[in-house]
Amino acid sequence: MLEVRNLSKSFDDLTVLKDINFTVDKGEVVAVIGPSGSGKSTLLRCINQLEKAGGGQIDVCGINMMKTNEKGKPVFADAKTLRQIRLKTGLVFQNFNLFPHMTVLRNITEAPAVVLGKPRKEAKERAMELLGKMGLESKADAYPSELSGGQQQRVSIARALALDPEILFFDEPTSALDPELTGEILKVIKELANEGMTMVIVTHEMSFARDVADKVVFMENGVVVEEGTPDHLFGDNASERVKQFLQRFSQH
Amino acid sequence: MKTNLLKRIFAGFTAAALITACAACGNGNTAQTTTSGTTEAPAATDDSLRKILDAKKLVLGLDASFPPMGFTDENNEIVGFDIDVAQEVCDRMGIELVKQPINWDTKEEDLNLGKIDCIWNGMSINAARAEAMNLSEPYMKNEMIFVVPGSSEVKSMSDLKGRTVGVQTGSTAQEILEASDLYADITVTPLEDNVTLLNQMELGFSDAVFLDSVVAYYFIASNNKDYFVLPGNLEAEEYAIGFRKADQALRDKVQAVLSEMKADGKLAEISNKWFGSDVTTVK
Amino acid sequence: MTGEQIETLFGLMLEYTIPTLKIFGYTLLYSIPLGMIVALLKMCRFKPVSWITNVYILIMRGTPLLLQLIVAQYSVPYIVKSDICPGFLRDMLGGVDIRSEAYTFNMMLIAFVLNYAAYFAEIFRGGIESIPKGQYEAAVALGFGRIQTFFRIILPQVIRRVLPASSNEIITLVKDTSLASAIPYMEIMYIAKKQVPTYASLLPLFMAGLFYFAFAMVLTLLLSLIEKSLDPMWRRSVKTFGKGIFSRGDA
Repeated sequence: MLEVRNLSKSFDDLTVLKDINFTVDKGEVVAVIGPSGSGKSTLLRCINQLEKAGGGQIDVCGINMMKTNEKGKPVFADAKTLRQIRLKTGLVFQNFNLFPHMTVLRNITEAPAVVLGKPRKEAKERAMELLGKMGLESKADAYPSELSGGQQQRVSIARALALDPEILFFDEPTSALDPELTGEILKVIKELANEGMTMVIVTHEMSFARDVADKVVFMENGVVVEEGTPDHLFGDNASERVKQFLQRFSQH
Repeated sequence: MKTNLLKRIFAGFTAAALITACAACGNGNTAQTTTSGTTEAPAATDDSLRKILDAKKLVLGLDASFPPMGFTDENNEIVGFDIDVAQEVCDRMGIELVKQPINWDTKEEDLNLGKIDCIWNGMSINAARAEAMNLSEPYMKNEMIFVVPGSSEVKSMSDLKGRTVGVQTGSTAQEILEASDLYADITVTPLEDNVTLLNQMELGFSDAVFLDSVVAYYFIASNNKDYFVLPGNLEAEEYAIGFRKADQALRDKVQAVLSEMKADGKLAEISNKWFGSDVTTVK
Repeated sequence: MTGEQIETLFGLMLEYTIPTLKIFGYTLLYSIPLGMIVALLKMCRFKPVSWITNVYILIMRGTPLLLQLIVAQYSVPYIVKSDICPGFLRDMLGGVDIRSEAYTFNMMLIAFVLNYAAYFAEIFRGGIESIPKGQYEAAVALGFGRIQTFFRIILPQVIRRVLPASSNEIITLVKDTSLASAIPYMEIMYIAKKQVPTYASLLPLFMAGLFYFAFAMVLTLLLSLIEKSLDPMWRRSVKTFGKGIFSRGDA
């Protein structure tokens, strides 16, 4: 489903990602954890084409997105292929990034209608269905500014799902929320996991990662330090560095 | 009338703008050659008159707010003593008179760049204008006088000591007043235009207004104002028509027609209409 | 002044509101789209373009509009007369009739448009730059193209944000049209100024003031209505009111 090989990325002189390798299989839920500045978000942004990777290879759903040529320069797929890949992936942001000038319903239907050319009526039906799943049917005509953070994040998940992505990425989906609101988001993600949705979640919610993920990736200083099942990473056999991190984390 | 404070600013500004705009084309001096025309001798072949006769029109530039010489009437028609005279001159030359309102501050540019053919609007002769333009012979005298309200205690120029006098900013009247002996003993309040000055005087902002006699008499007559004109004047000045430096033939032709009108009484007739007597000084 | 005179004056000014409206309308018509283009040029990542745009904005905002209007009027004859004017340009501009009304009006309009475009450009740039980066990223992640993103996601938000500042400029323009009287171009202020000595009264100026005031007042109302109509929540409340539904209390 997703294959990342030797991925590297640097901003000017600062290396953010070094030789990253990891794969996600269909139906798998992968949690990416690690300290701030470890490159987790950048990794997600490279896969979602918000940043241009500096080297390595990325394949999404069996389609090559970028690779490195003999001279070590990154080569990207043509615009049409990149667009095709983009539609197979969905991204949920930390700050929701809903469109403030559109109603909740319009936020969800705009991309299917404009980008995919779906008839508005059909897009609307699908949107209402997704809103139902999020428990937000009554907010269809509300504007984002009228919703709580948790509600906004649920709308943004519905918005991403409306394009029927094959793989869904979450970039710290609960970091901007009050602690009492994180639960509703985690619940939604758990439900999606139960339905077999392929997901990659960058998160600071360790217990959630342990609970819902099939695989946990620990990153630090731009490299994958360790990866494995939650039982492995959160268990006694994990490396010292991971233990140290988790211990410090639980103190917060 | 106003002197050209704006002119110098404008010339500098245009020069700067053009030099910036044409920087790629090389260096050059642009504005100096065109603004004054002082160094230009009359062209060897002067076709200025022929051009006007061929085009069958003379474009007269005026400020159009200087009654009774050239101003705008209630129906937005440009009328006045100068206009009547110019119309008669054009009739006699068999051409049309085009009355073109201009910005008085940039009249020299309008003339030299060919937007108009002459400036004819009660323009006082001074050294700068004599140098920048080809002036006609003076056609009228204008005195600079003091006007006070009819009820004023001020009855003569010597009574003005310690009083406040209004004068139009940038006008020749202001220059004359500032150069006079009286200046040390009075307070001067300069203002944009003569009408405002007279209004201010009525309201008590000033005791007297110093202005062109031509304007003063016309206002008093046409508005039934109870004003008193102090006897005597500071300095007389003269009005002339301004042409482009090189347009000698045109200037001479207009001058000849004016003399002809003086001789056959037409000029006196027009002067009578506006001033009640023949005030013209054309020979 | 007698009632009859005031009536004549009023009629004359009413007649010359048309030229005033002409300057106003054409200036907005051209300066708003041009301002948008200038704003985008200023944000251009190719630095020389951005610098040139900056110089243009600096000149337009740094010098009086009155001077710009006068410079525009004399630009063509000065360029034709200058020694450094290239031949083709002289041929092109030499045929321009600087005595024609069309020339006077067009050069005046160019000055107004260039001046206002500079102000609008800065307002628009501020508006565009105030849109959070996340909006672009969300649009990209959802597969919107560049053009779609600009027109569907960014521009509607920018318009709402720039409207108050733009309204300010638009109201200012109403009064700035009076600068045309200095060229001179015959509009309300020109008429007023020329009628002052005619009537030996300042009333024409006061009357002109009333005309501008009435014009600005109507515009203020109109602009505040537009501003409201762009507020989605206000629009919805009107729609809901129209349908007679008051039940959606939670929205």
